[in-house]
Amino acid sequence: MRFRFAGVASLSVLIASAAAFGASPALKPFERGTWQGVLRGHAGRPVLVHFWGVTCGPCKVELPLLGQFAKDHPDIDVVTVSADLVPNLPAATQSMLDRAGLSSTENFIFNDGFVERLRFEIDPAWQGDIPRTMLISRDGTITTIEGSAEIADLEKWSAQQLSKH
Amino acid sequence: MIRTSLLALVALALALGTALAQMRAPPASEAACEEPTLRCATKVTPAFGPDGTLWLVWMAGGQISVASSQDTGRSFSPPTQVTTKRLNLDWGPDARPKIVVDRKGGIALAFSIFRDEAFNGQVLYTRSADGGKSFAELKPITANNESQRFEALALDQDGTVLAAWLDKRNRVSAKEAGRKYEGAALFFASSRDGGATYAEARLAHEGTCECCRLGLAFAAPGRPAVIFRNIFEGGVRDHAVMTFTAVSTPGEIGRVSNDDWQINACPHHGPSLTIGPNGTYHVAWYTNGKARKGLFYAHSRDEGRTFSVPVALGRLDRSPTRPFVLSAPAGTVMVWKEFDGEKTSVQMTISRDDGQTWSPPKVIASTSDTSDHPLLVSNDKQTYLSWMTKADGYRLTAIEDQP
Repeated sequence: MRFRFAGVASLSVLIASAAAFGASPALKPFERGTWQGVLRGHAGRPVLVHFWGVTCGPCKVELPLLGQFAKDHPDIDVVTVSADLVPNLPAATQSMLDRAGLSSTENFIFNDGFVERLRFEIDPAWQGDIPRTMLISRDGTITTIEGSAEIADLEKWSAQQLSKH
Repeated sequence: MIRTSLLALVALALALGTALAQMRAPPASEAACEEPTLRCATKVTPAFGPDGTLWLVWMAGGQISVASSQDTGRSFSPPTQVTTKRLNLDWGPDARPKIVVDRKGGIALAFSIFRDEAFNGQVLYTRSADGGKSFAELKPITANNESQRFEALALDQDGTVLAAWLDKRNRVSAKEAGRKYEGAALFFASSRDGGATYAEARLAHEGTCECCRLGLAFAAPGRPAVIFRNIFEGGVRDHAVMTFTAVSTPGEIGRVSNDDWQINACPHHGPSLTIGPNGTYHVAWYTNGKARKGLFYAHSRDEGRTFSVPVALGRLDRSPTRPFVLSAPAGTVMVWKEFDGEKTSVQMTISRDDGQTWSPPKVIASTSDTSDHPLLVSNDKQTYLSWMTKADGYRLTAIEDQP
């Protein structure tokens, strides 16, 4: 009986491992409702949410700069969301985050095939262009930067947020 | 005994897992399933042949396939798989396989793959000379190995096939010279044998946006015209049209509108172009510029040198996307998608006066899950919406005559 239990338990582990194979445990799935969860989870704190993707040229340039910004500003919550629509991306996504020094930030990857709905929840006006950065102040005010952000602008916003505290 | 049962159980679990994976794609996927069949496709592109046969090319399960229909989409022939192995196909939002069918029934195809882990692209092409029963071995459209994506195909009256695409080869020389290289370049190549072989690739225009679909059509025999998102001075990614003076001679570019969308990003949202029998260019596009935001339509009666004042399409609060315009027997037809938070609908409008006025938009299809771009396709009598949806499969919908 014990053997059988152990066997079934091993099987469960085997199946779970097989299911998780290829996926990076550090990346969280971004699904329907996740956006509201992010807003709730960071309420009252300044948050920088960066939408990007591995196939986007300007994103490749910006990501390491953002990694440095996150390192220099531990008081700002940095969240990244891989919003690329190419499948089977967790490994490439994690690799780029690691290289950019963003391994320890809260990192999501789009995990819902109905991307129109995901984007609509975040911002109905967003049609999927990346990179895109949303700066959320302590009072919940959202400032959206379309395209690559200027680090100087992020520094300015960060200084404003921290001075208010 | 226990070991035997356990092994059997493991084998059963793995077999079940494999079977399930084949049948159904994970919920995160844009595909309904993972097989190379039409039902599992994420991108489907239509074309009518000269005999009225409807041809579809699609991507599904990492493969490209083709099938035909003799009854306008009610039933299809057994598919012919064009690819012989699963490829890392370009699944970007504006990527899709392309098809043209010539007067002799020859079928020319082109599509993009990611050829490395840095997502550099390669455009592959092939042709069928036996009515879609078989396709020639896939070949790269250019020997250059840097990066190509967003190919477009168009057929001239004499059977010449023109291919245009976005190409990043010139970033190499820019880097060597220490110059910053932004975006990509518009390249083209023509084929005099119906898409069996292409002439050497040539530059049409440097400094285009690198991640938006192109629109390509013939203004007159030997005179292709292409619309693309250009990078104007100051990093402004607005649209431009180029009309070639001959099939191998690029022309000047004309600006479609001054939207002033300064953005260093990939909009993933390219334009659409059709040219009427009288030579009017009809264009539709998306912008998020300082001057205007949303979907717009304009026309040009001087071969793309100047354009009419842009007309807004759709409801801005419903995220209008993916406009497509086609000059058709019944008039000029436009479709686009709108999303109300739960459902995506396809809106349609038609102009019977060469783009001067348009009918009120009408919903002609809707779906409750993800969907491909809405496309239009015409035979000599009727225009159809061609739309692949995850929830409801592929549909070809006749666009009824509007009063």
